[in-house]
Amino acid sequence: MAIRKIVETIADRSKFALVSAGYLLKRPKYLCAFIVSFIVVLYIFTFFRDGDSNWQLIWSGLGIGDKLDVMGRIFPAMLENFTSLYGLTIVFLSLFQAIVIMQLIFAWRNREKNHALDGASTGGVGAILGFIALGCPSCGVGLLTPLLSAIAGASAVALAETISLIFMILAFGLLLFTIVRLGYINYIIISSKNYKEEHAKSH
Amino acid sequence: MQKAIRIGLLVAVVGLFFGIIIFNALNPAPPDMTSWNDKMTIGNAETAKHHFAMYTDIFCPYCDKFSDAVSAHYDSWKKEYIDNHNVLFEIRVTDMNYENGHSDNSRPAGEAAYCAAKQGDFWSYYYALIAKLYADYHSKGIGVDRYAEKIPNLDNGYFYDIADGLESIDRDKLVSCMENHETAKELDANTKKALSKTNGGVPYFVFDKFKTSGFAGNWNTDNDYKEVKRMMDAGLSTK
Repeated sequence: MAIRKIVETIADRSKFALVSAGYLLKRPKYLCAFIVSFIVVLYIFTFFRDGDSNWQLIWSGLGIGDKLDVMGRIFPAMLENFTSLYGLTIVFLSLFQAIVIMQLIFAWRNREKNHALDGASTGGVGAILGFIALGCPSCGVGLLTPLLSAIAGASAVALAETISLIFMILAFGLLLFTIVRLGYINYIIISSKNYKEEHAKSH
Repeated sequence: MQKAIRIGLLVAVVGLFFGIIIFNALNPAPPDMTSWNDKMTIGNAETAKHHFAMYTDIFCPYCDKFSDAVSAHYDSWKKEYIDNHNVLFEIRVTDMNYENGHSDNSRPAGEAAYCAAKQGDFWSYYYALIAKLYADYHSKGIGVDRYAEKIPNLDNGYFYDIADGLESIDRDKLVSCMENHETAKELDANTKKALSKTNGGVPYFVFDKFKTSGFAGNWNTDNDYKEVKRMMDAGLSTK
């Protein structure tokens, strides 16, 4: 019975979160914030998706033209994300992060700073876990690999795949949790605003 | 209470993140610029001004993208870097992906590579094997990244068949070498050495003072060759 109630509450809040996200996306200001956040987050994730070679190239002795080229070629690589399952994971991670940022901005601007800060910390943890989980740890490409390898040798690298998968699931879980939580709060703010406006009109 | 848990979680995750970054920065792989197997180098070891080493596993898709691009532009790559810049280019073959449980094929492929080197023509065999893997699997999206369908376990015949298209490799000698595991010790020793030099992952590139892991290619050999050139140039220009 209690479980059923929890499920119903989550389903209701998710519905309200969807409504509030839809409401914000119809507003040019928030749509713009969403698009910019999505592009920036997707850029960062794509930059590090295949190891740290892009980062090392930026810090190498290459000329400024080559370094700009390294940064510029991330844009077509961002589109290539849509062609593989691994790429789509990165796209969805970025999409969820962009929704969190959009919701955060709305909550912050509507004097819900405590909720916005809570959302920022939970969403931030989700984003960092997702970032750590990037790469292909079992193929040897990933942020986690060197640390695990130093702690327990080659066999630990096999563990990196599992740990990375857990981090990725946690990242998605935390981002979804933040979206639903902030979305629900924003729904209440939006409903209250609409009520006040209608009430003012009718009087 | 809830707030304390949230703050604790935030501190732990941010701490882990920066811990990884600081650990990776403070533990660079120690350099080892003596060729491990002379047959796996291109260039003149005696007169070379630069030594570029690539740690690889034949069943590492990121490594194969790099080698596939070099193979497709071999003549211009050799002229520009090996001849004009006097680079000694070395491939250090490991079976790290067998050791870490990613692919059972890494072990026979590694042994086959050292067997081919024993016969004196590692490079022809290596590029032929990379090309066959591309034709059979990578071009179909198999074995290209962590979520892709895995390459099935291959029997030794797959590695013997490569020799049929190469005049420089004697199939019978290759079969005998692999069946008797004549190169297994060398492969094991080099994998062990590589683990301490690469922080556990391949591809790992040590191009003079430029060191990096991973390879940002997309299996388009022209695009990937630009990336190869950029990395070779980074090796030449990083002081």
